[in-house]
Amino acid sequence: MPVAVFFGCAFIAFGPALALFVFTIAREPLRVIILIAGAFFWLLSLLLSSLVWFIAVKASNPENVSLQKGLLIFGAVFSVVLQEVFRFAYYRLLRKANEGLAAISEENLSPISVQQMAYVAGLGFGIMSGAFSMINILSDSLGPGTVGIYGDSQYYFITSAFMTMAMTLLHTFWGVVFFDGCEKRRWWVIAAVAALHLLVSGLSFLNPSYEGSLPPAYVIMVLMAAWAFFSSGGSLQTLTQVWMCESPFLSILLYSGTTPILHKCQGVAILWN
Amino acid sequence: KLQLLSLNIMDGQPSLLLTCLHICPLPGVGCSSVQQKIYVQLNKTFPCVRLLNATHQIGCQSSVSGDTGVLHVLETETDLDWVLSSGPNPPYVVLMVAEHFNRSTMMKLKGSARVAGVAVVISKAGPAQGFSPHHSCPNQNSGVYSDSYGPELAGCNVTVWNPLGNSLSYEDFRFPIFSLHEGEEADVIRKCFLDHNRGVNGSDPAYPLCAMQLASHMYAVKDTATCMRRNDIQSRFSISPEFVCDALADYNVWSSLKPLNNSGKGHLDGESVVIAATRLDSRSFFWNEAPGGESAVGGFVTLLAAAQALRAVVEDHPPSQNILFTFFQGETFDYIGSSRMVYDMENGKFVIDLDNIHSLVEIGQVALHRNGQLWLHSDPVSRRNSSVRSELISNMKSTALNLSLSVAEPDVSQPLPPSSFQRFLRARPIPGVVLTDHMSAFSNRYYESLYDDAEYLNVSYPSGLSPEEQLEYVTDTAKTLAEVATLVARSLYKQAGGLDDHLSSINADPKIVTQMLYGFLVQSNNSWFRSLVSPDIVKNLVSAILFPASGPQPPQYYVGVPTSGDPVKMPTWLVQYVLANFTGTLRNLTQTQCKNPEDLEGESKDLYSYFWVQGPVPPNSTQGEGYCVRAPVRLVKAHSPAFELHQYSSRDYSTWTESRWKQIQARIFLVASRDLEMLTLGVGVAVLLVSLVVTYFINSKADLLFSSSRETTSTAY
Amino acid sequence: MNLERVPNEEKLNLCRKYYLGGFAFLPFLWLVNVVWFFREAFVKPPYTEQQHIKTYVKRSALGLLLWVAALTTWITIFQHFRAQWGEVADYLSFTIPLGIP
Repeated sequence: MPVAVFFGCAFIAFGPALALFVFTIAREPLRVIILIAGAFFWLLSLLLSSLVWFIAVKASNPENVSLQKGLLIFGAVFSVVLQEVFRFAYYRLLRKANEGLAAISEENLSPISVQQMAYVAGLGFGIMSGAFSMINILSDSLGPGTVGIYGDSQYYFITSAFMTMAMTLLHTFWGVVFFDGCEKRRWWVIAAVAALHLLVSGLSFLNPSYEGSLPPAYVIMVLMAAWAFFSSGGSLQTLTQVWMCESPFLSILLYSGTTPILHKCQGVAILWN
Repeated sequence: KLQLLSLNIMDGQPSLLLTCLHICPLPGVGCSSVQQKIYVQLNKTFPCVRLLNATHQIGCQSSVSGDTGVLHVLETETDLDWVLSSGPNPPYVVLMVAEHFNRSTMMKLKGSARVAGVAVVISKAGPAQGFSPHHSCPNQNSGVYSDSYGPELAGCNVTVWNPLGNSLSYEDFRFPIFSLHEGEEADVIRKCFLDHNRGVNGSDPAYPLCAMQLASHMYAVKDTATCMRRNDIQSRFSISPEFVCDALADYNVWSSLKPLNNSGKGHLDGESVVIAATRLDSRSFFWNEAPGGESAVGGFVTLLAAAQALRAVVEDHPPSQNILFTFFQGETFDYIGSSRMVYDMENGKFVIDLDNIHSLVEIGQVALHRNGQLWLHSDPVSRRNSSVRSELISNMKSTALNLSLSVAEPDVSQPLPPSSFQRFLRARPIPGVVLTDHMSAFSNRYYESLYDDAEYLNVSYPSGLSPEEQLEYVTDTAKTLAEVATLVARSLYKQAGGLDDHLSSINADPKIVTQMLYGFLVQSNNSWFRSLVSPDIVKNLVSAILFPASGPQPPQYYVGVPTSGDPVKMPTWLVQYVLANFTGTLRNLTQTQCKNPEDLEGESKDLYSYFWVQGPVPPNSTQGEGYCVRAPVRLVKAHSPAFELHQYSSRDYSTWTESRWKQIQARIFLVASRDLEMLTLGVGVAVLLVSLVVTYFINSKADLLFSSSRETTSTAY
Repeated sequence: MNLERVPNEEKLNLCRKYYLGGFAFLPFLWLVNVVWFFREAFVKPPYTEQQHIKTYVKRSALGLLLWVAALTTWITIFQHFRAQWGEVADYLSFTIPLGIP
């Protein structure tokens, strides 16, 4: 039943992206447009870097193994740099668009914040890059065979899916942090994003020793998630608030009469209303 | 949609490579397609394909994308039990060596639903006890003997010609069967089996298991009438017609001692012709694997050598009657070639008609005679009071006296062996004999099988000879066949009214016979053949070699179907050109004149064919000096009259068709365990559900979570 | 077209057109009629033309059912006996399957 592998891998690789799209993007047309445009920008960067790569490979001697290896590393670095350049270009474009949107809206205010744009654009990048790294593998996962006759790991499909999921989410977080850096003119932030992107891409050269590439990628992903959370206005305080107020503990706390926390939540609720 | 997208990506190699940059699946340089890491393609395989006749379908069928099963190597009886009942991971694809490829095993596999396919590893030499997948009574329904003609002789009642025949080639298998030769690929498969499919200490083997997929999906079904009807419907109603089958057909080769006017058809007054016939084709269980050594090559090489031997005499002392050499194609499949020629003769579409035939000598299987003992078979029904026939036999016997051969007749009551002559007898009681090396049952233990090859005919060479030296080396088989050819040539000369005085100067050349045996049985792409054929065919000779690395390759003698790229089969071309060089004369013409000699004086396209021949290549040159050969050698269609007459259920004519197919493919790979697959699915579903819940939760609390941004957002609103 | 914005006479007219059109061997028109006017006929508060619309919708549904029944029967029979019928079935087929009788 290779179909099971196909759906399993598809859910792993694109499940988070699907959930994000369904709950946060799909209902707002403007976000859908930004998402698709973001995906398109990522595609453009891919097109350009593949062109360069193609020329390089055609021009070089295919017999020279170390040269080809070097070219591959160069291609990876170049592609990453190009992706970040296109992210910046997209940021500039969105800023301009934002002004236009603000100008035509009734209250001279843009209907979407820069943080939201950053998140949507990042997700667009992530979905497209995820699709490109996964779809070939997905189509092969339909079988009838599985990887391994040449001695490769039989966990190839599932690890690829997890790596794709990590890349999709990483692109989202990078998008948020990157736009924030641009907004606040903190260039080291941009440099850090590019460096981390390079690092994650470089990790994939460790494959097929997945224990060398997957865990670090996930560590970076968690760190980036935290960074993105804080850079887009989250704080420990809001986190604990939401956790305390919305968790199942809440009801227990409510009736156990632990007033300070209850108070806090009510405070938030009041603030809201 | 997904498939399409991924295909597009696959086509764009650069994007594919860059895709890999994030997830480089494999060590080493570059990232190759995932497919290459999953599958090992087996290229040197030959499938069994589906053939159809008026009533049946035979051969093999797979599902559209191919049948997959866990690989199991059949070595002992317990392996068979494993496949048929005890193995825990059905269905199985069985890999067997040729010894196990017999009727009882195959019928057991055929009856089991646990078999997804069979791969047969062909060894060099056949089983010692003999093997023939053909009928034990070949072509019994299309020969002359029937309820109305010698009913006591019909259906091999008197003699079973091919007692080893197990009719495996005429079974209908619902699973694919492929053959591959002993060598690298067979070893790769065996290694995969040993590495993955054998349990430790007798326990059941653990996943991942090695599996094999065989794809040979056949379009045609049921019988020829059905598939021809579907062809017809397709061609009439479909915008992009998809034909399902084609009639087996090719060309007969014929030539005459004295040229016959090809533009005039029908009866020739005053012409009396002795026909010397033989067959050109063979088959085996597998498609286009038909070495046909004893069953075809021995016979037609003998006749070619006889035609060559006659040349020395006929120019100065032509016999009073003409001799017509014919080489019939498709005889294995209910006499396609001979039935067509007889049909053409009956309907005035051939240069002569049946009344012009004086007598007929057919060369059957002659290469395996013991101590020079040959047999003359004739028809017991029509032979009553035929003086021509007894003259023919006495001619042969007396000729043999001067050679180291002896010719005898079998018991009187015996019918003719399967032979083209039977098709002539169906039309007219023509006097004639069939020359063979067997008295009753065939000497050939590998009739219409893969093992009827050079080795079986003892066409082998001392080790260390270069291809050129092998070409010139005169084998014992060549010597004895040359003797037979001399016998045939002298008998024909005598039969055609030639004088006894000249008989001694008719001698077949063992050197030419050995060259022919080398070319037709060992390596068709050799310097001698290249020098005899046209430059175009030289190209085909080179390109027809599928696996140049795996040694010399003889042509295959399966009649097949005509294709636009390959309108005439290679053996037919070769025989035509060899015959033209043997019987023709050199003309001093240029290449363009040779193509169109109509306007030149003394040349006639009606009487002769003109062949531009490449010529021998001098030692330090790449191009031979071409020359023009004029010879009365022609090709005529060997296409069963049943298709001309649209009688697809005909009982009189061959109705064999070959199904079409889209792809033939064999590959091995690993299959993952059910547990791992389900684990992957489970993890996937879990990831999806968790993401949905978490995203819903975060999204609903987004304003709370990102409170500091809320202010900016709210100001933005 | 949004039925909400159409006057009642127009609705009836439309419904009748679809109902009559279905007789030209176009059962899909009946399907559309049933789905489209179901609310108008059975859910909406009564109005003068509703009685007629109701009849048309009911008849359309009946016709549709007959069509579905007839087609299902024929398809089942044809698929079941196609191989058996041989030549006749080949001539009745638009696409002939490859490799199966």
